[in-house]
Amino acid sequence: MSLAPWLLMLPALLLLAAVYAGPLLRYAWLSGHASSVLTGLIPVPNDGANWQRLAGDARFWQDAFQTLRFAFLSVGLELLLGLAIALLLHRPMRGRGLLRAVTLLPWALPTTLMALGWRWILNDPYGPVNGLIQGLGGQPYGFLSTPATTWLATVVADVWKTTPFVALLLLAGLQSIPGDLEEAMQLEGASRWQILRRLTLPLLLPYLGLAVLFRLAQALGVFDLIQVLTGGGPGGSTESLAFYAYLQAMRFLDFGYGATVMLATFGLLLLLALAWLLTLRRLQGRQP
Amino acid sequence: MRALLLLWSLAPLLWQLRTSLQSPAALAPPATGAAAGAAQAAAWTLENYQLILAGDPPFWRCLVNSGVVGLSTTLLTLLLAIPCAYGLHRQRGRIGSVATLILLAAALFPTVLLFLGLLETARRLGLANNLLALSLPYSAMGLPLAVLLLRSAFDDLPPELEDAAKLEGLDLWQRLRHVLLPLLAPALISTALLLFLFSWNEYPIALTWLSRSELLTLPVAMARIGSSSVFTIPYGAFAAATVLGSLPLLLLVLLGQRWIVSGLTHGAIKG
Repeated sequence: MSLAPWLLMLPALLLLAAVYAGPLLRYAWLSGHASSVLTGLIPVPNDGANWQRLAGDARFWQDAFQTLRFAFLSVGLELLLGLAIALLLHRPMRGRGLLRAVTLLPWALPTTLMALGWRWILNDPYGPVNGLIQGLGGQPYGFLSTPATTWLATVVADVWKTTPFVALLLLAGLQSIPGDLEEAMQLEGASRWQILRRLTLPLLLPYLGLAVLFRLAQALGVFDLIQVLTGGGPGGSTESLAFYAYLQAMRFLDFGYGATVMLATFGLLLLLALAWLLTLRRLQGRQP
Repeated sequence: MRALLLLWSLAPLLWQLRTSLQSPAALAPPATGAAAGAAQAAAWTLENYQLILAGDPPFWRCLVNSGVVGLSTTLLTLLLAIPCAYGLHRQRGRIGSVATLILLAAALFPTVLLFLGLLETARRLGLANNLLALSLPYSAMGLPLAVLLLRSAFDDLPPELEDAAKLEGLDLWQRLRHVLLPLLAPALISTALLLFLFSWNEYPIALTWLSRSELLTLPVAMARIGSSSVFTIPYGAFAAATVLGSLPLLLLVLLGQRWIVSGLTHGAIKG
């Protein structure tokens, strides 16, 4: 009788093992081999040459920096905006269901679909943003041809799409806080800011923790948006790690090195997740 | 504040709607200056829609493809997730918590990192360019969230219910079919909607598994239009595609808002 639950879980766990553990183990093996057009895509052991190449690969390190920069800024903005939206949606009001549905819409659309939408909106000179600038008497600006604004455009597109997700997670957290706690603090004369700082945020911490963990992991793997919005450009200035791994495998047909880049990205992700979990534990420990 | 939120969420989409109804000449006026553009902006047209619906393959084809993958993924995932969630609900102690931890880690994992290994497998097993085969990796990627959601729904049911059904002499299949699953309907709807959305929007795996143009799913078809030419993207046609591609999701979100929200938030609470 104790075997039955375990058996029921087996088919799902087997599929998970095949789709998640399979590729990761394969990468670990491939990263110790040369497997590219030069070897006819037949893996040949190469004594850690892939990892030596990675250590000295300036493009990899630049992409790592760019990916982290993208992840930190977009997740930070999503938290701030998501919290604001969650606080707004938490208040009772008429038409709240409809407002929630509309808020949710950007998150529900495919990334590639709106990535092209943003390309048109930021188009130089015909997009609406440049139309507005010209209408105000300015000169059209190449938002997607200047590195400094292109990476910010990727952040804006990501924030637009994924803030609703963060907002909903935080809304769930807000709804789990008993309303009489807030009333009690109000009676004691606490300001709204004090209530937010001393009551709401501490109780929201588990939800914030989960939202950051999930968004950080997804942002470090950013791919769809980069490929369609910028193609990694201009001049590689928005290329992400996942996109670099994709290029290695699909364009340069270097599966060995592509697998190495994937594995390194996964390692970076693990490190950051661990760092965040430790930070979270510390923050939680500091609470009264 | 509410108006600001509406504007922020809808403005980019409404601009796509506007763009889709304008002729190429109005979108990129040959004459310089804003005045010439404004004069031509009034030229409304449906030609962008005619263009993409008459394309080869016609645009509705990728909507059908995405729908097929979405439905088969949702069904297959539920088929695997329901027994797994029930097993997890019954499995207490160490094995249960280890399995939960594994599912949580898998739910957080950015699945784009799996594409290379999956592509090799697909080529070895001859699964590329097969829409139904695509639901295998998709199901695996949807499973972690589905199992966690359904497990928490099983946990919320009163335990006396199943005990009573057992005393009545119902076997496991009968208990699930006649007692437990009907009560789980809201959770099942939430899970199904989230699975369908995930599958409808997935890009990297579809990009690498599908190459025949009549099999492309919506996200890949969109990206292909975008990469067709760096300099002259047919933005009008593209906006029309955006609008048509958004409509099914718009309906889904409007009708299923309640379930999507409860699905997402339940996932958060139990996670």
